[in-house]
Amino acid sequence: PVTHNAPLPPCKRRGPGRVRSVGDGRLEVIEGCRLPVLRKNQENEDEWPLAEILSVKEVASRKLYYVHYIDFNKRLDEWVTPDRLDLKKLQLPKKEAKTPTKNGLPGSRPSSPERDVVRAGREGESQMSKRKAESVSLTTQVPPVTSVPSLPGSTEVTQASVYPSNGTSRRLIPSQPGRKRKANCVGTDEDSQDSSDGIPSAPRMTGSLVSDRSHDDIITRMKNIDCIELGRHRLKPWYFSPYPQELTALPILYLCEFCLKYLKSLKCLQRHLTKCNLRHPPGNEIYRKGTISFFEIDGRKNKTYSQNLCLLAKCFLDHKTLYYDTDPFLFYVMTEYDSKGFHIVGYFSKEKESTEDYNVACILTLPPYQRRGYGKLLIEFSYELSKVEGKTGTPEKPLSDLGLLSYRSYWSQTILEILMDLKSDNGERPQITINEISEITSVKKEDVISTLQYLNLINYYKGQYILTLSEDIVEGHERAMHKRHLRIDPKCLHFTPKDWSKRGKW
Amino acid sequence: MSKLSFRARALDASKPLPVFRCEDLPDLNEYASINRAVPQMPTGMEKEEESEHHLQRAISAQQVYGEKRDNMVIPVPEAESNISYYDSLYPGEFRMPKQLIHIQPFSLDTEQPDYDLDSDDEAFVNKLRKKMEITPLQFEEMIDRLEKGSGQQLVTLQEAKLLLKEDDDLIREVFDYWTRKRKACKSASLIPVVKQEKRDGSSTNDPYVAFRRRTEKMQTRKNRKNDEASYEKMLKLRRDLSRAVTILEMIKRREKSKRELLHLTLEIVEKRYSMADFGGEVMAEVLAQRALIKPTYTMPLIPLSSNQFRHQDHLELKDFKPKPEKTEVVRTKRKYEKKPKVLQPSSSVSQQSGHSSLPAFNAKDLNQYDFPSSDEEPFSQMLSGSSEAEEDSDPDGPFAFRRKAGCQYYAPGQGSNWPWCDPGDPRYRYSLTTLTVPHRCVGLARRRVGRGGRFLLDRAHSDLDNVFYGLDPEMHSLPAQSPNGKLASTSESNTSDRPAPPDLGHILLNIKSCRWRHFRPRTLPRDSDSSGLYRGLTRVSMANPRTQTGGSTSQSRTGPGPAPAAALTAEQYQQHQEQLALMQKQQLEQIQQQQAGNAPAALTTQGLVSKTLDSASAQFAASALVTTEELLAIKAKEEIVLGIGVNGVLPGSGKWSLHFATNSTTTANTATPSGHGAAAQVLMGNSVRLGMSSAGGTVNSITTLNARHIPRTLTAVPPSALKLAAAATANCQVPKVTAASSLDMVVRENHDQETTALNSIADSTVAMEVT
Repeated sequence: PVTHNAPLPPCKRRGPGRVRSVGDGRLEVIEGCRLPVLRKNQENEDEWPLAEILSVKEVASRKLYYVHYIDFNKRLDEWVTPDRLDLKKLQLPKKEAKTPTKNGLPGSRPSSPERDVVRAGREGESQMSKRKAESVSLTTQVPPVTSVPSLPGSTEVTQASVYPSNGTSRRLIPSQPGRKRKANCVGTDEDSQDSSDGIPSAPRMTGSLVSDRSHDDIITRMKNIDCIELGRHRLKPWYFSPYPQELTALPILYLCEFCLKYLKSLKCLQRHLTKCNLRHPPGNEIYRKGTISFFEIDGRKNKTYSQNLCLLAKCFLDHKTLYYDTDPFLFYVMTEYDSKGFHIVGYFSKEKESTEDYNVACILTLPPYQRRGYGKLLIEFSYELSKVEGKTGTPEKPLSDLGLLSYRSYWSQTILEILMDLKSDNGERPQITINEISEITSVKKEDVISTLQYLNLINYYKGQYILTLSEDIVEGHERAMHKRHLRIDPKCLHFTPKDWSKRGKW
Repeated sequence: MSKLSFRARALDASKPLPVFRCEDLPDLNEYASINRAVPQMPTGMEKEEESEHHLQRAISAQQVYGEKRDNMVIPVPEAESNISYYDSLYPGEFRMPKQLIHIQPFSLDTEQPDYDLDSDDEAFVNKLRKKMEITPLQFEEMIDRLEKGSGQQLVTLQEAKLLLKEDDDLIREVFDYWTRKRKACKSASLIPVVKQEKRDGSSTNDPYVAFRRRTEKMQTRKNRKNDEASYEKMLKLRRDLSRAVTILEMIKRREKSKRELLHLTLEIVEKRYSMADFGGEVMAEVLAQRALIKPTYTMPLIPLSSNQFRHQDHLELKDFKPKPEKTEVVRTKRKYEKKPKVLQPSSSVSQQSGHSSLPAFNAKDLNQYDFPSSDEEPFSQMLSGSSEAEEDSDPDGPFAFRRKAGCQYYAPGQGSNWPWCDPGDPRYRYSLTTLTVPHRCVGLARRRVGRGGRFLLDRAHSDLDNVFYGLDPEMHSLPAQSPNGKLASTSESNTSDRPAPPDLGHILLNIKSCRWRHFRPRTLPRDSDSSGLYRGLTRVSMANPRTQTGGSTSQSRTGPGPAPAAALTAEQYQQHQEQLALMQKQQLEQIQQQQAGNAPAALTTQGLVSKTLDSASAQFAASALVTTEELLAIKAKEEIVLGIGVNGVLPGSGKWSLHFATNSTTTANTATPSGHGAAAQVLMGNSVRLGMSSAGGTVNSITTLNARHIPRTLTAVPPSALKLAAAATANCQVPKVTAASSLDMVVRENHDQETTALNSIADSTVAMEVT
């Protein structure tokens, strides 16, 4: 990686007319190129959002391009055929000046993973004047990108300064504040020091999510599983998941619906099902109301299931890390019962001991069950557990887009419920403190404040802060609550919190 | 506006916030600008993702409409839920249990194989089924075992046969199939598993490696090493402690046995006292019977107690009397250990019994840990000796040579090159020999030096034995003299001018005229010995400090007075040997002349009785078993004082033999005047022993006695002796018991035995031993 540290000035390599071309004069689309790519939006309309080529492969002598739509979530990344590329607007890969970031805090999303492709191209370029013919072969026989780890190199800031007129739609947001918050909590980690001397370092050992994407590379940026068959569902994974590598080439990865074991073929799944007699998650049922049940699984005691669950969840959680074992986590699996058994709907994991008041590590509603209120049910259940524990809690950060929306929705509804129910006594204005809200809901104080802000309820009026409920808010809330029929019944919860600190480590 | 001029206070989470409806506050908008004073809380999202198109759209839609609309949701990849074969795949119904499901620990550990049959396997199994019996599950189990048995290297067929319980044909088929499939397979295992981390840390960044072990707060290598070290220390400590426990248990056993032994001894003593068996005859009888009937159960303590009792009953031992019990106790112990050693040479039966009497003592164990016994040191040493003697490979038995720490050992002389092996050497010929204590002639004998500097007498039978035994008429009067307590009563007899009985006149004449060599160990120091035989013998007596200076006399002490003691320098010894040899030669000639016709072969060395004539003195025995012979050869010029304790006294009969057991630790002759009193006494007591046993038809009794604890005065010790004494071992002790008493006992004992056994002369060879 050291060789990357002294690149040529970008201006030297970039300019009009410095576009390499293949033999027939067409532009060669290589990794790192940006160009508009056709995709259908939700209304099934054609869009041409700008996309970056992350990988190129050839299937049956036809090239396929893995594209990431810029400013779209990675889960929409896909393999596209050449006809969806708008080659007229092709932007060649740009090589940013590499300022080795000493602090090991690169941008959370490296614009393009570093790879030898670029270097090879550069070398070809330098020799181009002499041996033009060879340059083509040099670029085409690029070594597989997968072998190159990305550098925690470029930050957004340097990128912006180098390309002020880049015109990309990417908003350059300094990543410092969010980063700092994260860095504070890992301040004692040895990782931060390690990364400065170039030694590959292990991430921190607490938590389940990563925001530091310094380990991000081209492999983990791309989905590796095409399709997962789970029970009666076929799922399209959103993100990379470290299933055994030999299984990633399969068109369909089969999972046992109940033990979540991964199998390479339907035949194997059939054979497995003759031996697997599970019809529910292998844990203790701590909640049941109607068809909804929650099972508690100890990540130390039931490693196989926990790991299988994590592998599946990673397919849909970008920031989830599977770097370490599952020992310090409890897994709460929500199931829906039918005559075949208890089918997994979603789950959340929770650290047995959290130093940062996290009551949820990872939380996921499986795609087939999404947008049906199960997510909110999971969140509600997590706060019910916190209420039993007598603690306030907050989900581990960073939140995903869907996570943020779900939590905001839950918080809003929960807080509004309280505010609407406040009775005025003695004819005075009903009043409540933020701490009280937090205590009642087990929602952490910061989340209460942020929700109040987001809902624009906090106002400064005549020398004091007040909470104001607008008609819109009230109506919206009532509408939402009317639709929200899935609720957790605390009476159905049979849960005794354990003091994990007394049990040794986890 | 003045309202904007002041800053809003920070939001206080503990301060009550009144809740208003917006319609109740129409002037709220005027204050709206101040709201910015409330700091924006972070969303908790990654900043870049927060800016993503669909999220922003959804958020704005939410804010506009209060609730997001369907077309404003964040798009996700599609999922299908119409798997047609689902019902056939998951057959059967599962009824919801009424109670909450509670799984039992370990109930999930099924014995099912992790490997799942695929289509290829199914084809193979179906094909194989035509030939032999195999079920898919069986096949899966086999593959599972093969896979899990393989590490980096695949299981070999040989190992496979061990792993699998099926019959060989099936194993071979499946193994071949598995090997082929495994080779075609690119991954590490046919059972897909998530990549494991590698130990070398090279997998730190491998995205396919997951679920790494958490190492609690990464330790540095140094700390880990310390942990290992302390772990090892703990292990060692545990081992040591358990060893200590073992030792203590063994000590407990030993002490219990000791106590038992003491009780038994006491019981025997009491019994014997009640039946007035003061002479030990009953004892001996019983013992002999026991040895025949129940050889394995011979009590180790029995044969020796007779002597002790005689000590106390018949001899008025002033020193012993104040604490008879103590000496008794310790003596018992000593006898106990020594018993097998004593008995061993005489009969195999008693040897056996000796060993069987030591069941509780595992001497090897004791020595293994090298811990100090509660007993005196020689105890364990001797124990170890006797226990090792049990090994069949040790032909010497308890007499085997054992190295002692701190001793120097010289290479042995040239094999059989002993001086006495040469028949021509006059010093080692058989000659008439007279012992000092008891004072009598034992007939023809030759001297040689045995192991540890012991002096051995090889006796030869001759027809004249009867005559020889009668040579010293004073002998028979000795016991009569003993009890009278005359300190200074000495009867002197000179070799040359001894009063001869009339019937022996001829022989005596020969002897007198030095035609026969007559060896008589001398106890008196004599620088100017008239006979010239014994020069430089130094004798020191503590109880009777006067130095005997009588010319050419040998002393036989019968009273309780000081026993004779002699110090012999190497030179003197050598000289003495020479003279002995000369004497022997002459003697032989004489006999040959006299009995040329009658018994020409009578003097041949048939039927040798090896006797301990002389025992090495304290320093000598203790200092490392260097034979006197070797010492003499190597250090002939050095002035080494040999403390010759006692000249062995042997009754003439070949049937009776005496053991002069010199305990190496009871070195009487080193002059350490103070201290060690009690110990010396103990040792003294222990070393005096009478061992009796019988074997076969003939009574063959071994009498062991030690009578060489002879007090000496420091002043009389020559400087050379002192030097040696100082350099000598630490276990020099001065016995408090006067040697005379023990000597007296010995004499009496011998006398008794002699009278009973004189008539039968057998040429039995009894190995004599001095410890």
